[in-house]
Parts: sequence; C-alpha cells; structure tokens
Amino acid sequence: MTERSPDPATLLAACARGERAALQRLYQNEAPLLLGIVLRLVRDRGLAEDILHDAFLRIWRGAAGFAPERGSARGWMCSVARNLALNALRDRQRLVPLADSWEPLAESADPAREADGRRLEGCLQNLEAPRREAILAAYLDGCSHGEIAQRLQAPLGTVKSWITRGLKALRECMT
Amino acid sequence: MNSDATLPPDEKRERLAGEYVLGTLDAEERRRVESALATDALLAAAVARWEARLQPLAERVPPVEPGANLWPRIERSLGEADTRVVIRRESLWQRLALWQGLSAAGLAASLVLAVLLLLRPVPTPSYLVVLAAPSDRTPGWVIQTASAHDLQLIPLGRDAVPSGKTLQFWTKADAWQGPVSLGLVQPGRTLQVPLDRLPPLEANQLFELTLEDQGGSPTGRPTGPIQFIGRAVKVL
Repeated sequence: MTERSPDPATLLAACARGERAALQRLYQNEAPLLLGIVLRLVRDRGLAEDILHDAFLRIWRGAAGFAPERGSARGWMCSVARNLALNALRDRQRLVPLADSWEPLAESADPAREADGRRLEGCLQNLEAPRREAILAAYLDGCSHGEIAQRLQAPLGTVKSWITRGLKALRECMT
Repeated sequence: MNSDATLPPDEKRERLAGEYVLGTLDAEERRRVESALATDALLAAAVARWEARLQPLAERVPPVEPGANLWPRIERSLGEADTRVVIRRESLWQRLALWQGLSAAGLAASLVLAVLLLLRPVPTPSYLVVLAAPSDRTPGWVIQTASAHDLQLIPLGRDAVPSGKTLQFWTKADAWQGPVSLGLVQPGRTLQVPLDRLPPLEANQLFELTLEDQGGSPTGRPTGPIQFIGRAVKVL
C-alpha cells in the first residue's frame, strides 16, 4: 500500500508554518500540471521553467495568505503560475509562435473535480463555436485578441465581442 | 459596440475580471487590475469566481515533467532569500555611519562618567561602555563592570518608550556569530546582568539597546531600531 500524499490545502498550510518539506511535496505533486499549463501558454521550455521557479517562490511566500474558503489550493497555485505566464506573455513578444492546430486536452486527474469539469464543458458546448474557440484560445494558449483574430480569421472587433458575449453567457450558464 | 461607458458597474467589473482571468487584457490593463485587487474586494471576489469557473479547463492540460535541476534551483533560491535576511541583520551591526563620530560621544560621556564615579562608591570598573543615541550621539546609558562576569547598565536620563514597546539590551563580541539578548530594560532603572552564560567581556565588545515590541524581539535577534549603541573600552 502506498502512502497517500496529503491534499494541496494541507501541504499549503504546512508551507505557511515554514515547513520546507511540504513545499517539496507540493512540487512533486503539482509541478507537472503547472508546467503543462505554463508551457502551453508561453511555448518556450526555458521561459516556462523560469516561470515555474518564480511561481514556487511565490507559493512559498504567499502560503500564509492563502484563504481556503476562497477556493481550492490547487486552483490558487494554478492562478499564481498562470498569472506569471500571462504577465510574461503580455510584457514581451512571443518567443515561439503559436501552434496552428488545436491540441487535445486530457481527462481531469482529480475525479472529485469531474463534476465541475462536466458543468463547464456543458456550458462551453452551449456557446456558439467561434465564441467557444476564442475563449479556449485565450485561456489555454494565452492568445491575445490580435492572435485570436489571426487564428480564427476574423476582424479584431468581432473577436472582442465574441469574448465579451462568450464570457457573459458562460457566467449565466454556470450561475 | 461594447463600450464600457454604457455598461452598469457590475457588468463592467465582471467583464474586467473575466478578461483578466482569461488573459486577454494587455500589459497595462493587467497591471491596473493587479494593483486594484489589493483594495477592491468586489473585483477580487469576481476574479476568484472566474478562476474557479475556468479552473477545470486548466487541470485538463496534459502535465509536463519538469527538468531534474528545477527543484534544486528553487531550493537554492529559497536558501538565498533566507540568507539575505540574515545578512541584512548583520549589516545593522556593521553600519559604518553609526560609528562615525561616536568618539565625540565618548568625550561627552567621559565627563558624565567622571561625575558618576565621584558620586557612586563603586569598585573601579575594568570595562566601560557608553551607549549613545545613533542619531545625535547623546549618551543615554553607561555600562560598568565590577568583574568580568557581571555588569550594570546605568541610565543617564529617563527616556520615554512608546506604549506597547520595550527596550531590549544586546551584546556581541567581534568573533560571535550574532548578538545575544541580555534582557529587557526599564527606562530610567539600573539593570544588573550576570554574564555567567557568556564568555568574559572583551575590549571592543558591542552593546546596544533596541526598541522592540512588548515582551522583546520574537526572533531572538534585534528587529527594532537602535536607540543606544556603544563598544566596551578597557579601563585601567
């Protein structure tokens, strides 16, 4: 029988108490997911690892400020990493061009999160195709309005409105 | 066609939060949102809701194994961050400016001391320290030693300490790793300190009083501003 690792919230609480070993456990458990997310956004292995490095320093320092009632610990860590990656993307030109083809998604690793995933997926399916694609291109691939316009062969203004209306519809569907 | 000006505030906030999480804001807009998050609770809550809504999508991105040297690199950075804190503390003791002109205080203090020695029938001290304020070098306390194993901290005046604060007494000899606490000090009261657990006093040993929170420094090292500082001088 293998010992189950404590959940991310427990490990984060241990980090807040200054336990370095808890951060290492979090790294072992979560770094591959975070690197997958960041690499897909920035498309550059070296930059992605730099961002992951900074993200774990932030996670270590910010652990005490994480409030479990505000959301999941894994979600918070993903947001820390995503925000660093998005800042890097918006602050400079892309180093590596975007892929042309759509890359597949995996099944969620956490079965407890499946229900949330299905709900989001159902709502995304309800969106008109261009709105859905614009939202996925932004969230997963870090595409700017301009990059989405290029990818979907649509005028910039149209893309902006797809995103605004897509987000509004998504929020109403999920509330 | 989606002019923000025509949107009600709630809608504007939701849209900004949604696009922030989605990643479509430009660099300047992102920074504006990030600085607003600290003070705008409604915006922060909207961002948190959007993060939770879209999170399942992020978790479905296929994982990528990091290189073997990434964790050691993170650990090194954490170590450096810790060391920086220690170095910063050490530099307090090494700050040159603090020492410049302290000799002037020495002159003033020796006069004070002469009076003090005449008034008090105490044994001739083998070591003498004048603790002066770093700002204007006014002598505030004198340390005299009856033997190398205990010392007296004697006030020259009665300094007010802000409420909730206390003076803490520290010493450090040149070869020591860091300063050692000799206890908390009541303003205007003589403090008798046995030096049993420390090596014998030596020339040039540093003494200081720092302003700490009630109950003393929580870290075991000085954390507050230096109120008085001086070095031990051997007296013949």
